[in-house]
Amino acid sequence: MMGRTIFIDPGRCIGCQACVSACRECDSHRGKSMIHLDYPDEGHSVASLPTVCMHCEDPVAPCAEVCPADAILVTADGVVQQADTTRCIGCANCVNACPFGVPKIDLQAKLQMKCNLCYDRTAYGLAPMCATVCPTGALFYGTLDELRAERPGVQVADSFTFGTTTVSTGVAMVVPADKVRWPVPGGLPVVEINGRDVR
Amino acid sequence: MTEPPQTAEPSPPSGAAPAPGPAPGVTADGGPSPQAPAAVRRRAVLAGTAVSVLLILAIVFGSRLLRDFDSALLPYAVATVFLAFGVAYRYTVWISAPGARRLFRQGWRSFFSAANFRRAPTALPRMIATYLGFQKFLGARSHARWAAHQLLFWGCLLAAAITFPLTWGWFTFTSATGSGPGYEMRIWGFEIIGFDALGFLGWLMFHGLDIAAVLVIAGAAYFLWRRMKDRGAITGQRFAYDLVPLIALVVISVTGLLLTFSSIFLHGGGYQFLAVLHMVSVVFTLIYIPFGKFFHIVQRPAAVGMQLFKYTSRRTGEGEGEVLVCRRCHEPIDTAPYVANLRGTMRDLDLGFDEWAEYCPRCKRVLRGAAYLDHVKKGFK
Ligand code: HEM
Ligand code: SF4
Ligand code: SF4
Repeated sequence: MMGRTIFIDPGRCIGCQACVSACRECDSHRGKSMIHLDYPDEGHSVASLPTVCMHCEDPVAPCAEVCPADAILVTADGVVQQADTTRCIGCANCVNACPFGVPKIDLQAKLQMKCNLCYDRTAYGLAPMCATVCPTGALFYGTLDELRAERPGVQVADSFTFGTTTVSTGVAMVVPADKVRWPVPGGLPVVEINGRDVR
Repeated sequence: MTEPPQTAEPSPPSGAAPAPGPAPGVTADGGPSPQAPAAVRRRAVLAGTAVSVLLILAIVFGSRLLRDFDSALLPYAVATVFLAFGVAYRYTVWISAPGARRLFRQGWRSFFSAANFRRAPTALPRMIATYLGFQKFLGARSHARWAAHQLLFWGCLLAAAITFPLTWGWFTFTSATGSGPGYEMRIWGFEIIGFDALGFLGWLMFHGLDIAAVLVIAGAAYFLWRRMKDRGAITGQRFAYDLVPLIALVVISVTGLLLTFSSIFLHGGGYQFLAVLHMVSVVFTLIYIPFGKFFHIVQRPAAVGMQLFKYTSRRTGEGEGEVLVCRRCHEPIDTAPYVANLRGTMRDLDLGFDEWAEYCPRCKRVLRGAAYLDHVKKGFK
């Protein structure tokens, strides 16, 4: 089901924050950056992970399912939009239910905001801001064929496990060739907290 | 479990997730699910019918068995009956979806709780004023949006307060002297006030709708302008959902003002035509209210229920009032009853990762990154 989408390769991310700045320039949420850049192994390695909305397909957009106000629209092209400003009551259900930790909330404005795949750009065939500026290709926008033309043989995965649930997504992640046969672990069940094994 | 199951096949299109297919409450237009289960639809029709019958009874008895009913306003009255049906129908479908249903229960439970009332008697009126009346949160989005919406809101409220009772024959204006200037206003036949049609109060009484129209035109014009200019507002904008409501409000208000203009300055010239245009636009808008953007008027009170639920659960003692902190970083997430409510919603929806709700969004991302680092690509190489 992968069409033109974002491919994330954390292995290429150098944590330069260019995507974070570029996201702030997106017309649909000017001045606020929606992309997350995290350091999963802070203090031990420089590994960094950019997170955009994965545009979950099945189950379709958990954020939208838990929304009590029907505020999150999934357009026919599979893009999970930001909350409708008229409907969102700022309850934060979506923020806490999203398995990828994507939506943000403005508690003063009672409004959720999230990555909408730069709908103002991608709806017109332009690449999203983050993928446009990423200097290393950690964020790539295009079709799988276009990605493979640049990186022959690259493998991607578009399903993630959280506990017993598998979530398949519109946005995909680059994985090593021997790891394409199972869904990518999403971090739940949690096995380790602050270096301590909590199993 | 450290490793993901090695035996699992590449997931088929529907993955391991239960019951593929449209999720309740989520559709391509983000509106109510058109495939609401038959049981829900039946309940919604029942609710709609009950409410419309009640309204018809209220009209009949409120107009003293139609003696005070103005038959010229019949189309408007019929439209309000359709409106009542639509609102009750859509409301029932809406609160039948898992997310809304649980919040609805919690919200009303907080609303009716005598203990809450004793503990914080001012919380409810305060929240109604901030979230429904003055919409303070809109000011945080932008002051102009707040101001424009206040104009729309009070304009519509004023207009509704005048016109609905008139169409239902609940208000009447009678004059003992035939044609004024001394008038009496009656509600359900009871005299409320007498006033002089030529005085200030009389002017207000007869021009309330013109004032409302001016407020609405100002507010709607700002939002229309914003929908042409603001690139955030334009992103994903849909004509039927975003522009039709604003255009409808402008048409209603302008034709309404022109009616006054016609009767004062044109000796009624064009009055008939304008009256039909005005009526058509009002009837269309009333019937449309439950189905498009205007449904937020019915939906927004949920914000009060939600806030009240969070507020009261923060203030109850005995461990319940605790704010739940992220299991990993100990940053606060929300009140424990709120998180329990969300986890229930997730289980209702077969989202099997409700335990995840006890981690903050950042820790979810970091833990996913760590899992990728450990199991997918050692050291991100
Ligand atoms: C129950 C009280 C109400 C509340 C809490 C409320 C809340 C809201 C909110 C939060 C928005 C989004 C505004 C933005 O972010 O820019 C909005 C938009 C809007 N409201 Fe209300 N509203 C209420 C009643 C009304 C009434 C009575 C009307 C009159 C018909 C109305 C007409 C509109 C319109 C036309 C918009 C769309 C503006 C646009 O083009 O973006 N609202 N409302
Ligand atoms: S990643 Fe989160 S915000 Fe994006 S569609 Fe999935 S649940 Fe919604
Ligand atoms: S914060 Fe807004 S968009 Fe998110 S679940 Fe609540 S109402 Fe829906």
